[in-house]
Amino acid sequence: MNLLISLRSEILKTKRTAAFYFTLVGAAVIPFTFLLNLLMDGIEDTRKDPLNSIFKLGAEMNGLVIFPMFVILICTLLPQIEYRNNTWKQVLTSPQSKANVFIAKFLNIHLLIVVFLVANLLFMSLTVVAAHFIDPTLNLLSHPLNGARIVVNTLNAYVTILGVCAIQFWIGLRFKNFIVPIAIGLALWLTGTLMVFEYKSSFANYFPYSFHVFSVYPKVKSGLNQVAWASAGYAALALIVGFLDFGTRRMNT
Amino acid sequence: MNNTSIIKTTGLSYHYSGGVQTLSDINLNVEKGSIYGFLGPNGSGKTTTLSLVLGLLKNQQGDIEIFGQHLHSARVDILKKIGSLVETPSLYGHLTAKENLEVYRVVYGASKAKVAEVLDIVSLADTGKKVVKKFSLGMKQRLSIALALLPNPELLILDEPSNGLDPAGIIELRELIKKLNKEYGMTILISSHLLGEVEKMVSHVGIIFKGKILFQGPLSALHLFQQKGSKLFIKTSDNTTAYGLLKEHHPERAEECLSVPFHNMAQVAAINRTLTTNNLDVFLLHPKENDLEQLFIDLTSAQS
Repeated sequence: MNLLISLRSEILKTKRTAAFYFTLVGAAVIPFTFLLNLLMDGIEDTRKDPLNSIFKLGAEMNGLVIFPMFVILICTLLPQIEYRNNTWKQVLTSPQSKANVFIAKFLNIHLLIVVFLVANLLFMSLTVVAAHFIDPTLNLLSHPLNGARIVVNTLNAYVTILGVCAIQFWIGLRFKNFIVPIAIGLALWLTGTLMVFEYKSSFANYFPYSFHVFSVYPKVKSGLNQVAWASAGYAALALIVGFLDFGTRRMNT
Repeated sequence: MNNTSIIKTTGLSYHYSGGVQTLSDINLNVEKGSIYGFLGPNGSGKTTTLSLVLGLLKNQQGDIEIFGQHLHSARVDILKKIGSLVETPSLYGHLTAKENLEVYRVVYGASKAKVAEVLDIVSLADTGKKVVKKFSLGMKQRLSIALALLPNPELLILDEPSNGLDPAGIIELRELIKKLNKEYGMTILISSHLLGEVEKMVSHVGIIFKGKILFQGPLSALHLFQQKGSKLFIKTSDNTTAYGLLKEHHPERAEECLSVPFHNMAQVAAINRTLTTNNLDVFLLHPKENDLEQLFIDLTSAQS
């Protein structure tokens, strides 16, 4: 109950912040790009399964670039609300345990991540409907849609990003200057992505900033199960270390 | 007012990472129902003490008891009964006044009516959809006070609350503090670097300087201390003879004059008679009563 009260408090703080609008805009980037592509070049109708292909391509583009970047940015932006407004002292003198404050902030980030993923699917669906009306000859809506596959892909994207999310959350809480956590996150994301595509490094199986690739890139998908567990493990470890750090640091200065 | 301690610190000491001792052996005692003025120049350790009392800083040495409970073992229970304002306003600039209070309303277990009530108390009920970042510093300070009042606290801790307030705002704040103490029985701990600002409302005073408590007690005890500090400055045609004549008054030699401690005007008249009956011309007879502000400066500068 106390955790829910703390979470309510965190959600109210997010109202009208850049983080909330950023979530919706971020979720619309790939669907909007599809729509632009559709208007400019039309749709290739050579595919046997156009509807599922559109969602698959959307999941790949989203999972490789937009979603990890969104997580890195959102994990920094939310803790920044307290630093920017000089409100840590008010948070820490209110009758909430530090554990509740810490967990509520992490859960709030996950709420926004879920909003991002759901909004993304919603925007993709709207794009498909728009495509159907723009080019009715494709008859997109009459093709079967593998909903289960979409849900599994979305869950895989969520699980493989958990490690990065917890690490970035800890870094975001630790640094008053928001540039530092974003720079660290983006540099590691680029390293992790290159590690899979460019260097084909086996270390990518253990490097949390590479895990997002496993949920979308077919050539490494065999290692998905392992990295999903590793991602959860990294998340647990980063949360424990992050909480110990949060509990002992002077957040109000 | 009974003598139950609401805040009691024992042997509180603290140093920041640089190693410089910021607080040494602070034994704060704030009695229930009192308005305690915590005074000291900037950098004397007021905010550090209050931050320790509120649990913002980790206690390194000594003990903190609030409402008879140890802070480290009952932090959340204690904070439920405390409203606080530490230094600068601590508010969300992108939210309105009402939304800022709503963030903490359920955390403190306050009703929606309480939000309207505290906004009314600080005269911010009509700010509507204006976000806090567009408020003046005085408005932000008043909203911070509203936030401190939200839990209907038994103890109100205000660190330099008049920062940013205009003279009218300072007077309003003073009246509000007196009202909260008198009508709601709130114990109030208020820090300031200006004695004159708080002496009109406090019942007790603690003076801190360079991390050490120089004086602590009822305001009446400080007044008594003040009377002891009053001095009579005398300049005569022969200061050496005057010094001998006034020996029983423990005179001190100052530049071209003498200074003698005194308690009342009858004593001044008696000293004058002693000098004139011994054929000394009195050129200067200046009784200088030590006001509290001067006493505060004397107390703190004597230690530096």
